[in-house]
Amino acid sequence: MHRLLDYILWLPLLGALLILFIPSQKKDLIRWSALGTTLLTFILTVLLYLGFDESVAGMQEQFSVKFPWIEQFNIFYSLGVDGISLPMILLTGLLCFLCVLSSWTVEKSVKAYFALFLMLECSVMGVFLSMDFFLFYVFWEVMLIPMFFLIGVWGGENREYAAIKFFLYTFAGSVLMLVGMIALYFLSGKNVDSFNILALQGGKFSNEILNVFGTTLSFSKFFFVMLFIGFAIKVPVFPFHTWLPHAHVQAPTAVSVILAGVLLKMGTYGFLRIAFPIFPEASVYFKEAIAWLGLVNIIYGALCAMAQTDVKKLIAYSSVSHMGFVMVGLAAMTIQGTNGAVLQMFNHGTSTAMMFLMIGILYERSHHRWIVRPDGTKGFGGLYTQLPVFSVIFIISMFASMGLPGLSGFISEALIFLGIYQEFTTITVLAVVGLLIGAAYLLWMFKRMFFGEVIDSVKNYSDMNAREIFYMIPLCVAVVVFGIYPSPILNIMKASVGSLVELLGRFQ
Amino acid sequence: MINLGLNYLNSLSVYVPEALALVVMVGLVFLEATYNHNEKRRMTNYFSLLGLLSVAIVLFLNLSLEPTTAFFNAVTIDPFSTLMKLMMTLGTMGAIYLNSVTKEINLNTKNEFNILVIGVLIGGMILSSANNMLTLYVGVETLSILSYVLASLKRSNEMSSEAGLKYSLYGGVSAGLMLFGLSHIFGVFGTIQFTGLVDQLNQLNLNQTLVLIPSFLLFFVGLGYKIACVPFHMWSPDVYEGSPLPVTTFFSIVPKLAGITAVMRISMIFLGGEGLFSTSIVGLLVIVSALTMTVGNVTAIGQQSVKRMLAYSSISHAGFMLMGVVVLGQEGVSAISYYSMVYVFMTLVAFYVVGFVSDHYGNDDFNRFNGLIKRNPLMAILLTVSMLSLSGIPPLGGFVAKFNILSAAVNNKFYTLAFIGGLNSVVSLYYYIKIVRYMVFNDEESTDSISGFNPLNKTVLVALSLPIFIFGIKWSGFLAITEKAVISIF
Repeated sequence: MHRLLDYILWLPLLGALLILFIPSQKKDLIRWSALGTTLLTFILTVLLYLGFDESVAGMQEQFSVKFPWIEQFNIFYSLGVDGISLPMILLTGLLCFLCVLSSWTVEKSVKAYFALFLMLECSVMGVFLSMDFFLFYVFWEVMLIPMFFLIGVWGGENREYAAIKFFLYTFAGSVLMLVGMIALYFLSGKNVDSFNILALQGGKFSNEILNVFGTTLSFSKFFFVMLFIGFAIKVPVFPFHTWLPHAHVQAPTAVSVILAGVLLKMGTYGFLRIAFPIFPEASVYFKEAIAWLGLVNIIYGALCAMAQTDVKKLIAYSSVSHMGFVMVGLAAMTIQGTNGAVLQMFNHGTSTAMMFLMIGILYERSHHRWIVRPDGTKGFGGLYTQLPVFSVIFIISMFASMGLPGLSGFISEALIFLGIYQEFTTITVLAVVGLLIGAAYLLWMFKRMFFGEVIDSVKNYSDMNAREIFYMIPLCVAVVVFGIYPSPILNIMKASVGSLVELLGRFQ
Repeated sequence: MINLGLNYLNSLSVYVPEALALVVMVGLVFLEATYNHNEKRRMTNYFSLLGLLSVAIVLFLNLSLEPTTAFFNAVTIDPFSTLMKLMMTLGTMGAIYLNSVTKEINLNTKNEFNILVIGVLIGGMILSSANNMLTLYVGVETLSILSYVLASLKRSNEMSSEAGLKYSLYGGVSAGLMLFGLSHIFGVFGTIQFTGLVDQLNQLNLNQTLVLIPSFLLFFVGLGYKIACVPFHMWSPDVYEGSPLPVTTFFSIVPKLAGITAVMRISMIFLGGEGLFSTSIVGLLVIVSALTMTVGNVTAIGQQSVKRMLAYSSISHAGFMLMGVVVLGQEGVSAISYYSMVYVFMTLVAFYVVGFVSDHYGNDDFNRFNGLIKRNPLMAILLTVSMLSLSGIPPLGGFVAKFNILSAAVNNKFYTLAFIGGLNSVVSLYYYIKIVRYMVFNDEESTDSISGFNPLNKTVLVALSLPIFIFGIKWSGFLAITEKAVISIF
C-alpha cells in the first residue's frame, strides 16, 4: 500500500512492454492486455482515493516515495499526491480505461497503438504524481512522443501537419520551462531541495533580480512569464491555442479524449502546482491579466465554436472556452474560485470526454463529421428518430458540457462565478455571456444534427452496441452524481486548495 | 643525456594509447603491402577494430591517471583529454565497422580507409593533449592533411574529389592564418609553451592586449575551421555530402571532438583572466556559439539529402558544445565531456541506419525512408530514438547532455545564450522529426527490406543505441566520470 503511487505510475508502462512481446497477429490478446492493464490501474487509483486522508494538505505527507536519482544535481525520484492531483489521477485512470474500450475498433497496427497508448498513460500519471521538478519535466516531455505518433499515424487526413504542430508548439513551451527550472535550481542554492517543487514554494524568490537581454528585470516576474507560456500552450490559453483544433480534429477518438480530458488539465495543473506557489507575488501581480486572458478564451472559444461546421472542431473550440473558466477561476485566487477551477478541471474532463466519445461513435458509422458539408448540404439530420439511445446519451453529455443545473458542469461553473465575482466583477458579467454563447452553439448543433428531416445516409446507421453503451455508462453516472453531490471531489481537494489560497493570500 | 633518455621513457609510458594507435596504423600499412589473400579486407578490418579496442581499453584505464605532462611539457595528459580520446577512438571504431558493412567505398582489396582514419585519430589525439603551440599545430595538420585524402576517397566520384579539393583549399588557408596568429602570440609572450601563460596574461599592457586580440582571432580561425563553427563552416556541408558515408560519419565525430577539446583547452588557458582580452574574446565566442547553433539548424531544415541534413545538424551541435566553452571552468568542461559521450553514440546510430539505407538504394533522399517502420522496424525505431535524442527529448541521452550545457550556461548568467540554445532545440526538432515522419507516417514505396542488415548488424545497432538510453536515464555514473575527469584538471 505504501508503494501504491509506484504501481500506478509504472503499471501502464509494464503493460506496454508486455504488449511489445505479444505477436502482432494476436490482436485480441493485445486488446485484452491493454484493457486489463488500464482496468488494474484504474482500480489502483480508486484504492488511492479510498485510502486518501482528505484532512492533509501537503503532497509529501501521504503515500509519498522518494529516492535519489541523480545525486550530483540533487534530482530525486519523488512521487506524492494531494487534493489537487488526486482528482486528476482518478480522471486519468478512468478515461484511459474507457478509451481502451473505445479503441477496440482500431485495426491499424494494433500492437503499436496500444503500446503507445499505455506509454501515454504512464507519462500523464507521472506528471500528476511528480514532486520533483526535473521528474515532472521529464514526464511532461515524454508525453509528447506517444502523442506525436498517435496523432500522426492513426489520425485523420491532415494528421502529419497536426502532429508536428502539436509537437513543436508544446516542445517550445517546455523549453522555456526548462530554462526556468534550471534558473530556479541555481538560484535556490543547488541544494537537496532545489528541484523539490514543494520546497521551492512560498515566494522565496521575490527579491531576486535578473540581468537578461540587456535590462534588469524581476527574477520572479520574468520566470513566471516563462512558466506561464509553457503551461499556457498546454491549456491552451489564447493566443497559444492554434495547435488545438488541428490536433483534436485529426487525432483518433481515444486520443482526442485523453487530449481534451487530461492533457489540457496538465497546463492548469502546472499553474496550481508550480507557477502559482513558486512565484506567488508574480502570480498576484499578473492575476488581472490572467483573468482577462481567461475571459478571451471563454468568449473567443465560444464564438469560434459557433462558426464551426465540423462537429469535432466545434467541441475542440468548446474546450478552449471551458478551459477559460478554469483560468478565470484560478486567477481569482479565492477559495471558491480555486475549488471551482479544480472541480471544473475534473468535470470538463468527464463531460468533454463524453462528447468526443460520442462523436467517435457517430464517426464510425458516418465516416464524416460535417454538420453542414462544405457544399452546403446537411451532414446529419434526424438522428434523434434513428438512434434513440445514442441521442439520449448525447443529450446528457451536451447538457453536462453546457452546465445545466443538476449536471456536473453547473456546480463547477457556479463555484467559479461565486469565487470571481468579488475580484473581477466586469469579467464575471462578460463570462456569463460566454456561458450563453456556449448554450447557443451546443443547442444549435444539436438542432441541426438530431432534429429535422431524416437524411438518406442516416437511415442505415445502427444504434450504439453493448460495448459502446458499457463505456459510456460510467461517465453518465459521473456527470449526474457529481452534478447532484459534488462533495466526494470537493472534500478531497479542500485542504490542499485551502493551503494554496492561503499562500497566495499572503501576497495579495 | 641519460636524464633525457629517462624523460622520454617516462613520457612514453603515459603516451601508450597514441603509440598503440600508431602501431596499428603501421601494422595496417605492412599488411597492405605484404599480405595478399581474398579475405584480406575482412582481416584488416578485424585487425583495425581489435587494435583500436586495445587503444580504447588503455585509454579507459588511463582515465584514473593523475594529470601529467610529457615530452618536456609538449603534451599534457589529463583525464579530460583521455576521455575525449576515448570517445574519438570509439567513433573511429564505429566508422570502420560501418565501412566494413557498407559497400560505398568499394576499393576491392585496398584498405586506405582504415589506415587514414587511424592516422586522423592519432592527429586528433595529439591535438587534444597539445600543450604548446607547435604540438597544437602538428596535431591540426596531421588531422587535416589525412582528412583531405579521406574526403576524396571515392576517386571515381566527382563530388568526392570536389569535397577533397574544397576541404584542402579551405584547410590550407585557415592553417596559414592560424600559423600567422600563433607567430604573433609567440611574439607577445616569447614562449611557445602554454604552461605558465596564465600568469603572463594578467600582466599584459594595453598595447600587448591590442596585438593579442587579433592574433588570437586568427589562431581561432584554424580551430574554428576544424569544428566548423560559423562563419568558418562553409566547407563542411559540401565536404560532408561529397565524402563517402563512413567518412562523413568519421568527420562529424573525430575532428569535431578533437577541435572542441583543443578550443576548450585554449580557452581555459587564455580566457581565465578578467581583463579586456578575455572579456572581448568571451563576448565574441558567445556570438559565434549562438550563430553556429542557429545557422546550422536553420539551414538543415531545407535539406533534401539526409546526409546533408545531418551535416548541418552537426554544425549546430558544435555550436551547442561551444556554449560549454563560453562557460569555461569546471562546469563547462564537464558538460562538454558529457555532451561528447552522448553525441558519439547518437551520431553513430543515425549514420549507421542512413548508411544501410543509402547503400541499398544508392542515395539517401528523404523519400528513401518512406515506410521504413514496416520494412525494418528495428532500424526505424532506433533511428527515431537517435533523432529524438539529438533534438533533446527526455529521457534520452541528448536531453541530459543539453541539460548539462544549459545549466552550466544559466549558472554563469548566460541567460540569453541559454534561451537561444533552448529555442534552437525546438527548431532542430522540426527537421529531426521530418525523417521520423517519412519513416513512420508515409506509405512505403517498395516492400523489400534493406539488404545486408543481418543479425550481427542488428546487434551492433542495438549495442550502439543502448548508451543513448543509459545516458538519459541512469546518468549519475557517467556524470561522476566526467566530473572526476574535470576536477583533476583544476
